[in-house]
This record gives sequence, structure tokens and C-alpha cells, in this order.
Amino acid sequence: MTTSSSRFGLDRLPLPPLPTRVADWRLLARTARLVVSVPAYAAVALVAAVVGLTLFVGSQNLALVGDVVVGGSLPLSTRLTVLAELYPFVGTSYGPVTGGALVVVSAMIGVNVAMAVYHLREHELTAVEGGGSLAGVLLGTLGAGCAACGSAVLAGLLSLVGASGTLLLPFDGLEFTALAAVAVLLSSYWLADGMRGGEVAGCPVDL
Amino acid sequence: MERLTRRDALATGAVSLAGLAGLAGCTGGASGGNDGSGSDDGSTGGDGSMDADSATPTATSTPTQTPVPGGRVAVGADALGDHEAAQGIEGQPVLGDVAAARGVVVVFEDPSCPRCATFERRTARRIRDELVPAGDAALVSRTVPIVYQWGEPAVAALEAVFARDATAFWSLLEFYFTAQSGLSSENVLDRTESYLAEETDLDAAGVLADVESGASADAIDVDLAAADAAGVRGTPTVFLFRDGEYRTKASGSVSYELVTGALGL
Repeated sequence: MTTSSSRFGLDRLPLPPLPTRVADWRLLARTARLVVSVPAYAAVALVAAVVGLTLFVGSQNLALVGDVVVGGSLPLSTRLTVLAELYPFVGTSYGPVTGGALVVVSAMIGVNVAMAVYHLREHELTAVEGGGSLAGVLLGTLGAGCAACGSAVLAGLLSLVGASGTLLLPFDGLEFTALAAVAVLLSSYWLADGMRGGEVAGCPVDL
Repeated sequence: MERLTRRDALATGAVSLAGLAGLAGCTGGASGGNDGSGSDDGSTGGDGSMDADSATPTATSTPTQTPVPGGRVAVGADALGDHEAAQGIEGQPVLGDVAAARGVVVVFEDPSCPRCATFERRTARRIRDELVPAGDAALVSRTVPIVYQWGEPAVAALEAVFARDATAFWSLLEFYFTAQSGLSSENVLDRTESYLAEETDLDAAGVLADVESGASADAIDVDLAAADAAGVRGTPTVFLFRDGEYRTKASGSVSYELVTGALGL
């Protein structure tokens, strides 16, 4: 009897490794540190983090960005002020916890993208590694919205299946931001694992 | 029946967009049985400063003084053109003069929404205290019960109060935001009655009777219909008008500086 997975050969695909040991986390940390120690990749990480954060906050007010920041006739300084007010710790759209979580996830995405770019230039990026990065960005965007609006949005989502948001998601939507962080961490680990045996900035990736 | 349908439509629309773009405000969960009071970061108050403001809300919390008495948008007012957010705006609660102000802020809000409380504390209060008295802006409130269940009787009470006294509407709204974390479906009407009896000259029992009889249903429907037509997907959502023309909208507890910047004030 042929199952659908064996028909497509999916049962022969190895599951991506999970960082279950301390050594795995040390590998991730060391690889990330080595990549961002290269000034060009540090710049890539910074730009990607800012772009990620801008994506998170801008996606929630596309009309405002289009009407006032990009379009309209306001002076440049006013446009920049309006744009800046969308960001955590500048404007008032996010509390300190949600704002901090968004900044942390954005920074993680920045490092992840820098690692992906490095890996892409030096090796061949696999689907798992690239998909993990994409999933992290998407979950981060969702997390940005849900962490901002709290349990209410989860209540709305979960009410469709008759569940209670406050019972299942007691942290008022920060769960999505945490999921984004996990996705980015996994992606970064897979990138680091893919670079195992190589060198970054003249240093061996393996411990 | 019609009210429920519109509310559901708002909630469903919010849910459908949340996964793509996320929302900086609160979206409808009224149909889901959730009856708590939530916040954006797991604390009781939305953001850090709110905790300090409303750690122990009481029925006798004293709102700040409203410098400009509450009014009603003039019947026949066409200062905002035919924008959907201005649909049915005649007679709505307003601070300032919609026809004369350079900027008009129309805010869709829910007294049970934590981000609305943040918007009230950080932004609306400054609009009220700084822009409205100077004639630079008018603030129109459109209350829509789409977040927690206790928001429904609260909005009904707001409409019943507004029918009696436009200024008391604003103080009751501020009371709800200040006392938000301690309110629920079980106590919101009792707390409302206590507040009205202690802080206003209104017939508190009459207001409660109106809430229970559904006398405010039509007024609530007007705001829900406008929110639906304007594409409101969560609260707070502010629509900004400059010199009578729609300029933009913003979702979430956006800052005072963002509002004044976008309006060019």
C-alpha cells in the first residue's frame, strides 16, 4: 500500500534538526556573532531589523502612511514625525512590553537575514532555512498586531471556534510575538547548522 | 437583530484582516463570550503608565475637568463632506465646533477597549485640553460596542446619558476608561448608576431603565453603520479631517503628535 507521503517521497525527507542541546545554542550564538562581526553583515542586520520593524508598524496603518507620509503635501519634517510616531517607544501605539517584544523580534530578524545573506553568498540556502526566515517575518507581523491590541483580537479570532481567548492565550497576544521569536530562532539555528564546518570571518563555525 | 448582524460584520472584518496586517487597536470579540478586560501587554492597564493611572479604579474616580462643554454636531452640518465616517454625524457628541475648527478628529471607540483607554489618556485628553479650547480642532466621539461584552451596556448608557446631557457623556466616557480594568458585565450597570448618582445631576435610575429597555439601540446602530461603512476594523480608529476635507485615518492608540502632525496643526 502506498501512502501519499511515500508516493511523493516525503517520507525520505529528513526532519530538520532541532536545537535540543546546549551545544546547539552555543553554535547558533557563535555563528550569529561571527556573522555580525563583519561590518557589511552588521549593516545588513541593522537595515533588515529596521525594515522589519517598519513593516510591523507600517502594516497597521497603511492608509496613514500612504495619505500623509508618502502622499499629501505636508513638509518633510512633519512626514518624518508622523512616521516616527508609529514606532514603539516614540509614539503611544505600543506599551513597553509589546514595544520591547517587537524591537527584540525585529533585531532577531535582522541577524537572521544577515545570516541568510551570508549563507546564500557562501553556500546554497535550503528550503527549510529560507522558509524559516519567511515564517519568522510573517509571524512577527501578526505578532505586532496582536501584541498591540491585546486579548481582544484573540477573543475575536477564537470566538469563531467557540473558544475563550483569555483562557487559551493569557498573555494578550504576546503569544504571537513569542511564536515569531521561536520561528526566527529555529531559522537561525538551521542557518548556523548549515554553515557548520565552514568559516565565518576567518573563524571556524564549529565549536 | 440588525444590530447583531452589523456588530458581527465588524468583528468578522477585523478578524479577517488581523492575520495579514495586524491591528494596533482592539477588535470585536463581543460575540465570543469573552467578558474580561484585557490589555496589550499582559498587565492590567495596557501600558506602563496606565497601571499607575487606574490601579485601583473606583466608582468615584474623578475625571479631569472638561474645559469645553460637550455639544452635539449641528443638524445639517456638512463640514465633513460625504465621507463614510461622517455618516449620521449630526447630533453626535462633539467637543468644539466642527464647522469652524481647522481640524476635526472623529474617533470610533469602545469604552471596554484597553487601547482606547490609552488613546483617551495620552491623546484625546490633550486634544480636548489644548486644541479644542483654541479652536484648532473639534473632537467627535462615536462609540461602538465591539470589544468586550460589557461594552454593550456601557455604550447604551453613554447614549442614554448623552440624550440627557451632552457634557455628562464625556465625563462618563472618561470614567469608563479610568475604571476599565475593574468593570465587567456583572458590575458595569451598578458602577454606572453609582457614578451618575454621585457625580452628576442626572436621573441615574432613568438612564439604567433606558439601557435595559433598549432605548438607545437606534443611536448605537447609527454609529455601528458608520463604522461599518468607513471600514473600521478595530478601535480606536481616528478619521482626520482638515478644512472640511478627509485627510487620513489611523488605527490604534496613536499619539497626539501624530494627530497634530497629520492635520498640519
